[in-house]
Amino acid sequence: MLIEQLINGLTLGSIYAIVALGFTLVFGVLGIINMAHGEIFMFGAFIGVMITSIFDAPLWVAFAAAILVTAILGYFLENFALRPLRSKQGVSHLAPLISTIGVSIFLENLSHHMFGAGNRPFEAPFAEINFQIGSITVYLVQIVIFVISILLMVALSFWLGKTKAGKALRATAENLETASLLGVDTKRIITMTVIIASAMGGIAGILVGMAFNSVNPQMGLSMGLKGLAIIILGGMGNVRGAMAGGLILGLAETFVVVYGDSGYKDAIAFLAIIVILLIRPQGLFGKKITT
Amino acid sequence: MLAEFINPYYLQIGCFVLINIILALSVFVPLSTGQLSLASAGFMGLGAYTSALLTIHFELPIIVGVIAGTLIAGLFGILIGVPTLRLQGVYLAIVTLGFGEVIRVVFVNWESLTKGSVGISGIPHIGREILKTFKEFGFNPQSLGLQNNQFIFLSIFFLLLVITVFLVWFFRRQSRSRVGRAYAAINLDEKAAESMGINITYYKVLAFTQGALLAGFAGSLYAHVLAYISPADFSYHRAVDILVFTIFGGSEVIWGPIFGAIFLTFLPEVLRFISEYRYMIYGLMIIILMAVRPQGLIDVTIINWIKSKVSKRGVKHGSRSEKSM
Repeated sequence: MLIEQLINGLTLGSIYAIVALGFTLVFGVLGIINMAHGEIFMFGAFIGVMITSIFDAPLWVAFAAAILVTAILGYFLENFALRPLRSKQGVSHLAPLISTIGVSIFLENLSHHMFGAGNRPFEAPFAEINFQIGSITVYLVQIVIFVISILLMVALSFWLGKTKAGKALRATAENLETASLLGVDTKRIITMTVIIASAMGGIAGILVGMAFNSVNPQMGLSMGLKGLAIIILGGMGNVRGAMAGGLILGLAETFVVVYGDSGYKDAIAFLAIIVILLIRPQGLFGKKITT
Repeated sequence: MLAEFINPYYLQIGCFVLINIILALSVFVPLSTGQLSLASAGFMGLGAYTSALLTIHFELPIIVGVIAGTLIAGLFGILIGVPTLRLQGVYLAIVTLGFGEVIRVVFVNWESLTKGSVGISGIPHIGREILKTFKEFGFNPQSLGLQNNQFIFLSIFFLLLVITVFLVWFFRRQSRSRVGRAYAAINLDEKAAESMGINITYYKVLAFTQGALLAGFAGSLYAHVLAYISPADFSYHRAVDILVFTIFGGSEVIWGPIFGAIFLTFLPEVLRFISEYRYMIYGLMIIILMAVRPQGLIDVTIINWIKSKVSKRGVKHGSRSEKSM
């Protein structure tokens, strides 16, 4: 029982981590909160539903389509909502926040229009396959989700740490002007970051569809809010913090449902960040900010 | 004759415009010290639920309920405002957003008190209470040629109008007082303000609490105007709507949030004929406005421009009268 819940928690947590990584990448490079990330994630989930249910295509096609669509959405987000604000002088830090809220309102209502307001079932071909190990039941779906998430996190860490583009991204995150002086094409790096973050949201969308077997236009909002909570929990702009924060939140929510009151599940993320900000404002893994 | 012009539907929208102005002020006041609070929806819910429950279960008069609701929200404002003082910008925004979500989740789950997501209905209605009081004094709205229904909404509208005008006057007055100058100084540079002897802690908590009081007040009015509340009324969407009023209109001068609240409350009603697309248009408008005018529609330059137009006319009048003399 305990181990089963542990597995459930890790599955949920690894999806949270992927969502939070999307937030963290954009915050790290641009210093803004992308309020539209949740809606981009939801679009990814719906594209997955459409591809698997209407076209009866295999799962990898759904992944490819979701990545493609969310990457395009990310490109539009950067070009129409974020870049116009960057080129202006003296813009308050609230403007990009409001602008991405505008994008999220637009996308949420667009999805109502395109996909309908209700729940859509997500049919993973191997939803019922499970293994019995002793008294523990493990579903194949859970393993697939967990493996994909871990692979994605490892790939991202490797890419950020070892490749040239990843180093350029980190340099841009450290200081945009200095990076630009040192010959980094910051405009391209920023566009790339937003696209990669959005595509990760799309992947997370399909993973959530697989985990819960259902998709609806409101899921973007709740997942977006949790993603925000996680990046504060783990430390803003901190990649490792986002991963750990996601896993911690997933485990905490699962155990509250089992041992506590399931109604309060959605409040945990926020209670946690209120406590964290009071005790350790830089987040669990953040560095102390010295001014 | 008068009756034909008074459509309860328009008056209802008018009431929401006025409540939304108060809500927009509840974001504007903390923001004038540089604190971005997204907790307005949460404080609004606290005020609404407190007032509704008190008036239903203890049969208190509405005014007592509204005062209690406002004060409870203000109390929570202090409780949240003090520990979050050291948080800046987006951190404060997310924590206050989180506070609102926690409040909403508590409303949904504390079913014995709040009836959960079903919501509370049968809340005493301000307009009907006013009508009842008037009738006790032997007044009949028919004598003005009004239906009961029209009189109810007309009385609420004027009551709210008086309250809103008073609040706007108060905060305009405050912005030119010692308190308002302290807010402005903190907003420009906290460290410089502190070195000039401004008690930052006091003024920041004061601004945050004023915001909470305003939101709680608006919330308790909302409960007694609509007579029905549910946790969904105080969700993330509400918080974002209130924030957008202020930012859209402009957060530099008090006319910004007022204009934003009026314009954005009417907009979905005006766009009703394309109802399916109206929120998409709403979203697009926000994106376009931020790209074109990130400081909001109304800023100091526009206010000065209007003032110069007005005063020029005054000067003309002056010179003309001189000539005639």
